[in-house]
Amino acid sequence: MPETPTPEPDPVVSSSLSRALLISALVVFLTLVWGIADETFFMRPWKRYQSRFVDKYTAHLKRLQPAQAQGEEGIHKTATYQKLAQQIEEAKKQAAPQRAAINKELNESIRPRLESLQVKYQEVRSHIAALTYELETAGGEGSKKSIRADIEEVRKERHDLDLVKADGSGGVERQEWDFAEMEREYDRLKQRRAELQTEVIRASAPVSALERQRDAYVKEQMTGLTREQIQGLLNKMDQFPSDIKQIHVRQIDLVDRCESCHLGTREPVELTKASLGEAVFAGHPTRDLLKIHNPERFGCSPCHNGNGVATTSVIKAHGYYKHWLWPLFKQENIEAGCQQCHVREIVTDHAETLNQGRELFRGRGCNGCHRFEGFDREPELLQAARQQMRQIEMERADAEREMARTFQKIDDPKTPLEEADRLKARADQIRVNANRMNERLEQLDVQASNLMREVKKIGPSLKEVRVKLRKEWIPVWIKDPHEFRQTTKMPTFRLSEEEIQAIAAFLWQSGVEGKLADHPMGNAGRGKELFETRGCLACHSVGEGDKLMGGTFAANLSRVGEKTNYQYLVRWVHNPRERTRPYCALEKKDLGPADYAKAGKPFRFDLANAVCPNDGYTLQVQQMTVMPSLRLTGEETRDIAAYLTTLKRPEASYAAAPYLDDPQLKQKGMSLARNYGCAGCHEIAGLEDEGRIGTELTKEGSKPIERLDFALFGHPAKNEGWYNHKGFFERKLKQPDFFDQGKVRTQLERLKMPNFHLAGPEINALTTFLLGSVESQLPETFHYRPEDQRRDIQEGWWIVRKYNCMGCHVLRANQPSVFMTLPRYQDPDWKEQLPPQLVGEGARVDPNWLVRFLANPALSESDTNRNGLRPYLKARMPTFTFSEGEVDKLVRFFMALSSQATPYIQPKLKLEQLSETERTMARQLFTSKGAPCLKCHATGNAAHDARATAPNFLAAKDRLKPGWTYRWMLDPARIAPGTSMPSELFRREGTRWVFNGPVPDSFKGYSKDHADLLVRYMFQFTPEEIRRLGGGVAGN
Amino acid sequence: MNRKTLSSIATLALLLGAFGCGGGSGSSEAVKTDAPAATAVTKVDPATAATITGKVAFAGKAPARNRLIMDAEPDCKALHSAPVLGEEVVVNANGTLANVFVYVKAGLEGKTFEPAQGGIALDQKGCVYRPHVSGARAGQLISITNSDPTTHNIHPMPKVNREWNRSQPPRGANIEQSFPRPEIMIPVKCNVHPWMKSYIGVVDHPFFAVTGEQGTFEIKGLPPGEYTIAAWHEKYPAMEQKVTVAASASQAVEFTFKGD
Repeated sequence: MPETPTPEPDPVVSSSLSRALLISALVVFLTLVWGIADETFFMRPWKRYQSRFVDKYTAHLKRLQPAQAQGEEGIHKTATYQKLAQQIEEAKKQAAPQRAAINKELNESIRPRLESLQVKYQEVRSHIAALTYELETAGGEGSKKSIRADIEEVRKERHDLDLVKADGSGGVERQEWDFAEMEREYDRLKQRRAELQTEVIRASAPVSALERQRDAYVKEQMTGLTREQIQGLLNKMDQFPSDIKQIHVRQIDLVDRCESCHLGTREPVELTKASLGEAVFAGHPTRDLLKIHNPERFGCSPCHNGNGVATTSVIKAHGYYKHWLWPLFKQENIEAGCQQCHVREIVTDHAETLNQGRELFRGRGCNGCHRFEGFDREPELLQAARQQMRQIEMERADAEREMARTFQKIDDPKTPLEEADRLKARADQIRVNANRMNERLEQLDVQASNLMREVKKIGPSLKEVRVKLRKEWIPVWIKDPHEFRQTTKMPTFRLSEEEIQAIAAFLWQSGVEGKLADHPMGNAGRGKELFETRGCLACHSVGEGDKLMGGTFAANLSRVGEKTNYQYLVRWVHNPRERTRPYCALEKKDLGPADYAKAGKPFRFDLANAVCPNDGYTLQVQQMTVMPSLRLTGEETRDIAAYLTTLKRPEASYAAAPYLDDPQLKQKGMSLARNYGCAGCHEIAGLEDEGRIGTELTKEGSKPIERLDFALFGHPAKNEGWYNHKGFFERKLKQPDFFDQGKVRTQLERLKMPNFHLAGPEINALTTFLLGSVESQLPETFHYRPEDQRRDIQEGWWIVRKYNCMGCHVLRANQPSVFMTLPRYQDPDWKEQLPPQLVGEGARVDPNWLVRFLANPALSESDTNRNGLRPYLKARMPTFTFSEGEVDKLVRFFMALSSQATPYIQPKLKLEQLSETERTMARQLFTSKGAPCLKCHATGNAAHDARATAPNFLAAKDRLKPGWTYRWMLDPARIAPGTSMPSELFRREGTRWVFNGPVPDSFKGYSKDHADLLVRYMFQFTPEEIRRLGGGVAGN
Repeated sequence: MNRKTLSSIATLALLLGAFGCGGGSGSSEAVKTDAPAATAVTKVDPATAATITGKVAFAGKAPARNRLIMDAEPDCKALHSAPVLGEEVVVNANGTLANVFVYVKAGLEGKTFEPAQGGIALDQKGCVYRPHVSGARAGQLISITNSDPTTHNIHPMPKVNREWNRSQPPRGANIEQSFPRPEIMIPVKCNVHPWMKSYIGVVDHPFFAVTGEQGTFEIKGLPPGEYTIAAWHEKYPAMEQKVTVAASASQAVEFTFKGD
């Protein structure tokens, strides 16, 4: 028989899927394990952070507790506390019987009775309420009537009640009441209960008041938290829920989960890295900042950047990965976040690095090439004002033409009468409008001339080179300014020899011709003394390297003798604003004597004569420098100039430079000067209207990273981790041609930015500033744009920085002026010679006086070689020739800083009138032996004032505010620490202040405040009184 | 089959149980707080105490003493019949220098001494400070009196300690103040009378002296050892010398200030 082939096994039966299933099952299982592991361990690092925090914080608090408890025990032992505790005990004892009685009645009679009545009463009441509802929603009158009947029935129904007796015996009585009776009893019980409860509160009131007092006392005396508060925190840690902590600001769609790991940020206990051992749990430094910027409103990431939403890893949360464009600011740039909202300011509290960055940007002239909104606004405002004026003039011309037409029509007899009437009204309207335009024009004109005065350039005017500079010096300077003068603002350009020669030739040949007056040589020895004491060193410096003495705001003068000549220095020191020729912006020309002669006018121009003889345009008659005039005499000026010409290195030599007069180089030089943007910082003939050659940096921090030209360093930057804004800015600032390395370019194609020789901290400050200059994600309502007095403070700081007030004066607490660092003023005897500190100036002086003073610090038209207020100071308050706008802003700045009300109303009318007896008494006190007033203060009498060391207080009534004067006399050291004015001239006696020394007999029986008497006396001086005191003309 | 399912469920349950129970545990650290070490007061044994004596000589021509101009205050002027001379450089008849503050500058590190008993006095008489130069311990009370008929104002100008100024009426209450930190030297001036000057040297040990009319000084009670003695004068630069004293011995030191 042939073998039947074995049938193939049926795959349904034999083939097994078990392998595939096993593998799939394993894969699914592993995925499950992976998922669970991720969920519980990997993807939630914040859970680990939180549990660590709970443990460490609990341990820390437990450690704190004993110390705080000890502190609290100490307070419990103090006399005040003991007294309060005793008082509380007594009050409790006193209140006890009354409270006991009330509580007895409440608990034994009222409450039980009420409870026993309540249930039934409420049942019936709700039944009635339900029926009432049916009544209200019933359809017809018939059903209403029947429901009303039902209600009556329920009301009348009598119920059996087991009520607790009202006498407090505890017994139960049985009553049978209908609803009305139940209601009456219920209301009575409730009312009685309310009465009793208010009585309890009243009885306990003294106790609770004392307890509150005691707790307040403990809180005041305790530094840090009390034991209870710490216990509260410990309880919080016990019940700590482990979840994401997020701040959600709906307005700006902001979610910040930073606090899920940074748990110590807002804890009431001060935590540092050392407290809990980890930097992540440290508390937020400068708690004041959190008070001003509540995190619930601002979140964290608007100030700090980073990825607030991320919680899966530290790198993601801090935004240090390539997909997040705005990484967390590093510690040294932390203040960058302030700039986006405080964009109007140049001085922001708590942001010193940012302030330094802004000041560098302004002071080093970055603005000469890079526009930045807010910096150097004056030229733009001036242009805008002029444009507006032109426009208004055009509109006015239109209006006049229309008026003429309208008049014609009115006068035409053919026009119908009503039409003529209508046209008359129209003509009147046009006339009034034209007048308003005139008013507007006048204001704009004032504004424009103010702005003309306010426009300043960072560098000196290069139109003056022919009269000012030594010609061989110019190419040496252009080649490397830093070598000539280490601290100069001018950066070093990368120029070839030909370029230097061409530019130097252009500048030399474009300078204006002029003749300087011929002065005899002064005495350099006297000049040195004057230079070091008149105040020049507040802005300028002499000496190099370690021996540098003075301020860095203006040029270092160690080698100024090599660069300029004596006659120019005399003119400059006498009046720095004086220029050789005025400039007419309309004709774009420096006018010379010939132009004036053509119009038949003498060649004279100054602030009073600033009109162009050709076209009536306003001329630029001042040098655009901030250096003020020190009102020196001719002799002093010559002495200082003589001293300055001796400042030079004797071994320095300068090669001859005949190419400077080569006319062929002039054109080339001009185009090079245009190319390198010299006109951004200097006034150059022919380049007055040049724009800025650099990019605008107002929003540089938001620039997409692809648009920053990393050149050949893109990949190395990514690899080394500096492919971000910070990396770019830091390298660029340190070496501006960094990104040219390796590139093949012609000279003119290369990067133009010159090298500013910035130090590390300066680079950091500027980087902070630029990183913060972003297009803010926050809406305008979040930005700091106050419209009240605080705006005056913002505006005022710009002017203070512009003119370097802080070189001589202290304006903020703990800010040393440059004067205070000079070696001469370290001697205690010279401390009195320091210029006055201006913290609180707004509270001290009458703003109208301040306006006069700032306009003319000599306070006199005739005698200007002096300080009007403090003639005994050797340092000289200069005349800054502020524009009216600047004076206005400065005065409002000081007033705003001291929160003074504006406008200021002189208090002469508000002070209590001085009687004649009081006047005599005050005079006797003033001139008595015990009172040291006249020993230091000037009185206007020349003989007396020769030894005076304090301001003329006979002028106080015009200058000072009486409130401030009162406070000053009582405690001057509080207002001006370190002042020479003696403290403790008055002592407290009851509620008044009494002179701390022998008082004249006329004071017997006088019960009023002595200090107030003296203030009233000073502010109500009559000329006769002043003469009596031996003073001269008061109120210079 | 049932057992297999059961065992896989059991494994799964175990695994779930292991992972599901929360994250890792934190480590609680105990950070030691160190207790402040108590500093022992050094007691000097009088049997072994050493002494440093000496004088401060002045070489060169004694500069002329300027006249103090008290015209601004007639009450002060009236107190003097003869002109009052400034005390900036006072050269005694025997060629020594007065008003030199001599003190131990180094060699006493780590030692604290018993606090001073009593205070030192500073008087304003004839509109000058008496004494012109004085020494005090840190924390020692300085009692200031006004023996003049006019109001004075005491204004010390320290660099390390806190600056203050207080007025004192004639026959007014004594002013008692102290300086908590050592400082060499604190100038004291009067805000009302600019010619008045005084200097106070504050040290944290009792080993100092001021030379007087004889130009000599004596520092007693020193523990034996090696010290640096410094001499301070208000006009001339300070001088230092190293001295080693044995127990119960007396060592002589001489300083010579050169005039210009």
